[in-house]
Amino acid sequence: MRILLVEDEAPLRETLAARLKRDGFAVDAAQDGEEGMYLGREVPFDLAIIDLGLPKMSGMDLVRALREAGQRYPILILTARGSWQDKVEGLKHGADDYLVKPFHVEELLARINALVRRASGWSKPILACGPIKLDTTAQTVSVEGKLVDLTCYEYKVLEYLMLHAGELVSKADLTEHIYQQDFDRDSNVLEVFIGRLRRKLDPEGTLKPIETVRGRGYRFAIPRSESDDE
Amino acid sequence: MDADTDLPSPAAKATTNDPVPPRRPFSLSARAALATGLVLAAFLGVVGLTLSRTNADSALKDQQERLENFVTAYLAGLEVTRSGKVFLPDTPPDQSFSRPGSGLYAVVIGDNNTKLESPSALNRDFSFLKMLQPGESEFGPIDTRMGRLYYYSYGVSWDLSDHKSVPLTVMIAQTEGVVEGQNAETRRSLVFWLSSLGVMLILLQLLLLRWSLTPLRKVANEMTRVERGESEHLDNQYPQELTGLTERINAFIDNEREQRTRYRNTLADLAHSLKTPLAVIRSRLELAGESTPFRGDVLDQVRRMDELVAYQLARAATSGRQTFATTAVPVADHAEDLVQSLEKVYAAKNVLCEFDIDEGAVFYGEQGDLLELMGNLLENAFKWAQHRVLLVVKLEPQAGRQRPDLWLSVEDDGPGIDADKVEKVLQRGVRGDERVQGHGIGLSIVQDIVRAYQGELTVDRSPEFGGARFAVRLPSG
Repeated sequence: MRILLVEDEAPLRETLAARLKRDGFAVDAAQDGEEGMYLGREVPFDLAIIDLGLPKMSGMDLVRALREAGQRYPILILTARGSWQDKVEGLKHGADDYLVKPFHVEELLARINALVRRASGWSKPILACGPIKLDTTAQTVSVEGKLVDLTCYEYKVLEYLMLHAGELVSKADLTEHIYQQDFDRDSNVLEVFIGRLRRKLDPEGTLKPIETVRGRGYRFAIPRSESDDE
Repeated sequence: MDADTDLPSPAAKATTNDPVPPRRPFSLSARAALATGLVLAAFLGVVGLTLSRTNADSALKDQQERLENFVTAYLAGLEVTRSGKVFLPDTPPDQSFSRPGSGLYAVVIGDNNTKLESPSALNRDFSFLKMLQPGESEFGPIDTRMGRLYYYSYGVSWDLSDHKSVPLTVMIAQTEGVVEGQNAETRRSLVFWLSSLGVMLILLQLLLLRWSLTPLRKVANEMTRVERGESEHLDNQYPQELTGLTERINAFIDNEREQRTRYRNTLADLAHSLKTPLAVIRSRLELAGESTPFRGDVLDQVRRMDELVAYQLARAATSGRQTFATTAVPVADHAEDLVQSLEKVYAAKNVLCEFDIDEGAVFYGEQGDLLELMGNLLENAFKWAQHRVLLVVKLEPQAGRQRPDLWLSVEDDGPGIDADKVEKVLQRGVRGDERVQGHGIGLSIVQDIVRAYQGELTVDRSPEFGGARFAVRLPSG
């Protein structure tokens, strides 16, 4: 998951970025509206966190400009005042959710997860594809009811694939959404992660959840379960 | 017995000093009507007096002339014998001279008590008559037993053939009644015409007054409209004399609005600069390990500060009904915005929010206040609802008031609030449920706004959904 964080207050920006990275998100931080606009247009984010009170270009304008530029990823706005006027205006201009400062980091993480999930068409916090269930709230994965122990990055890769279950996800996409800009894209770390995921999820080799599309990328092959829509 | 009874006790004094409301000065129309009424009355009085005086003078002159003519006529018809015996003419110049008591009399006197009288003058006393020198004349009213008489007497020296002459004095008299009757008639018609003229002028004056005071009434009406928020400024064109006033009022209104905006911006800045450090502290501590010293304490204090700041800022932003900064805010549009926003935020919950909003429902006050009021109530309902929320906005006409009250209720199908817990829920700073995210100050803010608008908030059970129902009634002010 790659996140754009636009916040002018350096300590808050750094703390949040550190926390998000620790949770396996790739974070690009911007300190004002213009920088946010530049990044927001250039990088395929999964979500943006935008403070409303930004220098150079207000958060409200940034949200509107991003939407006008055709960016579809979910946007969460942070507001200090928390007045309904701000919230309504922000949501009207294209934001998807808001948090009033000061917020709990856990709350922010929960909102991020929910937004990302909703954006890819999952309405419930548990992504279920056949026997494989990924709980976005608890950040756990189970196969046929048994918990599977995954590292943070493994979880993120799987989450991304499952969010886009049935779709082709290119390696570049995956790398971009999982890692920072400065990550060495040539490394075969991704292949290593995929290999480990396959072994952990399907030790017997019967489910074959992740399929490799030669030269193009990966696809999560087990379709979304009907039960998701109940 | 009691020496103090003469002195007013302090209490008695206080009651006598009780403000007898100072008498309101006369209205402008009353002043103008009174002043011009008096001036008009005086003017018409003087005019009437002068006219009637002039008329009386000319009537007197006419009378003198008439009497003179009669004298001339009598002189022409007079016959004097050689011996100096005088005979009145056979046919008098007017029939009235032959009719006794007719009021028109002719008397001729001469030397040696010669006295001739017209038949009308028989047995009447004309002793006031005296001989006049030839060419001498006398005219005037005189009071006699017959009443007031107007007489004209003229002295002549009647030449006889043999260079002798007889002095004669001819007098014609007429009773006052005839003259006065004419005068009174004239006076009556004068009074009639002058008073009708007066009434007409007063009516005209009232009309003029109404017309010239129209702009003032217009200002008053427009001010009322501005107060109610139906209009932004005094927009009409006003006469030059009033523009000084209306322009200043407009400037005052603008200033008032500007100040509110500045105030709100200051609050927003304050919120930003107070809350961002709190956000930094909280995120730092939450990121730090559990073993960090005082972590729990500091987080707890941060939470308290946050609530305090949020609540006080919201409170300060609540403006209530401003005299001139009020606008008429259409409820329906804002309700729709809010519901759409909340549906977006609570998309995962799949809440169906219906509304039943009276067409033309208008909130007289600050738009921000309405948004906070509805936003907090709706968010609360979305938080607690399972699947359904209902927003009702109604106009409730009140007897004796021009504008209807605004009734606003939000209900949900959540667990609801037991009657005995309502008070606790409404208590400031008490959260309905710690589990649900949010500041828990929403309801306190709602209560503050309701108070600022002299409204009332009631909490009961939704008759339709069985959950909680928060209802607010706001008087139209």
